[in-house]
Amino acid sequence: MSLWQEGIRRHRGWIAASLLGFVVLAFAPALLPPFYLRVGTLFLFSAALSLSWTLLGGFAGYWSFGHTAFVGLGAFTAALLEGALHLHPATLSLAVGAAAAALACTLLSGLLAWPILRLRGIYFAVAMLAVAQVLAELTSNVDAIKGALGIVLPRVVLPGVAQHVLYYRLFLVLLFAILAIAFAVRISRLGQGLVSLREDEDTARMLGVPTERYKIAMFVLSAALTGLLGAVYAHSLGYITTESVYRTDISLDMIVYCLLGGIGTLIGPIVGAALMTVVTQVVLGQLLGIHMFLTGALLVLLVLAAPAGLVGLLARRRQVPAA
Amino acid sequence: MLTLQTIADGLVLGGLYALAAVGFSLIFGVMSVVNLSHGVMVLIGAYLAWLLWHAIGLDPLLAIVPVMAAMFGFGYLYQRGLIRFAVERASLLASMLVTFGAALMLRNLLVLVFSPDFKSIAPSYAFAHVRLAGLTLDLVRVAALALSMLLLLALALILNVTRIGRVMRATAQEEVAARLCGIDVRHVYALTFGVSAAFAGASGAIIGLVLPFSPSDDGLWTMNAFVVVTLGGVGSPAGALVGGLLLGLIGAFAARLIGPAFPNAMMFLVLVAMLLIRPAGLLGNAWRARA
Repeated sequence: MSLWQEGIRRHRGWIAASLLGFVVLAFAPALLPPFYLRVGTLFLFSAALSLSWTLLGGFAGYWSFGHTAFVGLGAFTAALLEGALHLHPATLSLAVGAAAAALACTLLSGLLAWPILRLRGIYFAVAMLAVAQVLAELTSNVDAIKGALGIVLPRVVLPGVAQHVLYYRLFLVLLFAILAIAFAVRISRLGQGLVSLREDEDTARMLGVPTERYKIAMFVLSAALTGLLGAVYAHSLGYITTESVYRTDISLDMIVYCLLGGIGTLIGPIVGAALMTVVTQVVLGQLLGIHMFLTGALLVLLVLAAPAGLVGLLARRRQVPAA
Repeated sequence: MLTLQTIADGLVLGGLYALAAVGFSLIFGVMSVVNLSHGVMVLIGAYLAWLLWHAIGLDPLLAIVPVMAAMFGFGYLYQRGLIRFAVERASLLASMLVTFGAALMLRNLLVLVFSPDFKSIAPSYAFAHVRLAGLTLDLVRVAALALSMLLLLALALILNVTRIGRVMRATAQEEVAARLCGIDVRHVYALTFGVSAAFAGASGAIIGLVLPFSPSDDGLWTMNAFVVVTLGGVGSPAGALVGGLLLGLIGAFAARLIGPAFPNAMMFLVLVAMLLIRPAGLLGNAWRARA
């Protein structure tokens, strides 16, 4: 039996659960009041971002602290290109912009991959942080990019679909598409190789895993998907500036959600994003003055109490009686 | 002449960067922890000095002494009460997130206590300056530079001559061996955090004198510290000094030659280039031999 067939067979339950989740989430807009629909949209966007991050950070163990570089690059590529082309209808414009965003991120990450992936651990983390900072400053200070002034994006209208429902659906489709990609990667030979390189890169390399090629592939894939999300996010905002898409908190949230849910797993980022979005938007929304304090406290508690994430916590509990 | 003035300005700022970064470098060198709350510790120092100046009129340069003492205590407890658990229970990367969470909390507290506005410390001599061979030098800045050098020298002496300095270096080199020799490693780690916080606090007090500051600057000072350490090398005051001065010069020249908006972009470009070419920094890791 091939690796693929076996992977699909072994995870039948998860696949069924994902399909069910998709159906439930797809019908949710009819029932949710507008505010919760916004929270839901934010959740879908965050979960999709975290999944893209985990392709590199969770699978290969290369923690990028600057993935917002690709959100921003994607958003500005889409905005600038669409502004120059003036395509009609706006749906076509969105599609072209999103494709261009993914392409731009593929190019940049392809150029960066070889040198930057030679760095490991915190050095890689901080180099990515620096990449994001450089891109953000260039976007703000090069007049042609209009990062400081801001750009208005064409408004996408579908007959019969309200604006907020439209982006909810878009992010829902993107989330499950990325989930499918991540699942395919995880059960393939590539996924096995990535996990082995996460556990011990030198040993994996010695055993013949093409570590260099694998991690470059993941870096580029992760960047391209993040860029795609960035382009759609830019449309959902309608108007972007450097500050609204190059945000360090986006970079960190991706990590936090994966860590909270369980790093290296596929369900982890989704669980983490759901929990944190609800907590920060619904519960802490009332407490703006100490919002940052509570987020920080939550972060500290989370790392101390559940180093392997919620999924890890549950798995450990399940294992205890068996052992 | 303009070039000389740029160099002078760069060196003055560079001295401050070096002092602000040396504590970060020490923690990184001794326990490999990347302390993302370092920038907040610098700011706490600045706010403490501001408070002392406003409340009892204590000169910021004299305030360095109580600020350092208070920050030492803070750093010691911070390590014993929080960082220790993070390092023991999770990975070093996860401990980075813990320090980031702590930074968010502390920054929020600073906003609540001191408001999010910019503050500055301006004693009577704040605007005095000397003209020396055509260069204009603010007295405050010269004093800040001199004091930074003095404090760095003091730290170098502590590390190289005193018993506690030897113990710290031994722990950094080989934790297990140090433990076997009867060193209380936990105490040493907490001490290192204390010393680091004390120097961050001192730099904060001096920075308050030279530049306006606000709670949202913490990320800037943390990044600065990281760049300084990457440029100069981990763990030693000398490495911090080289990195700090270099960063100051890069910033001053980028602002003059390319444009005032670009020093940060330049700084990060240099950082990435440096990580790729020589990740151990110009002076290398002071304590660990690299293969």
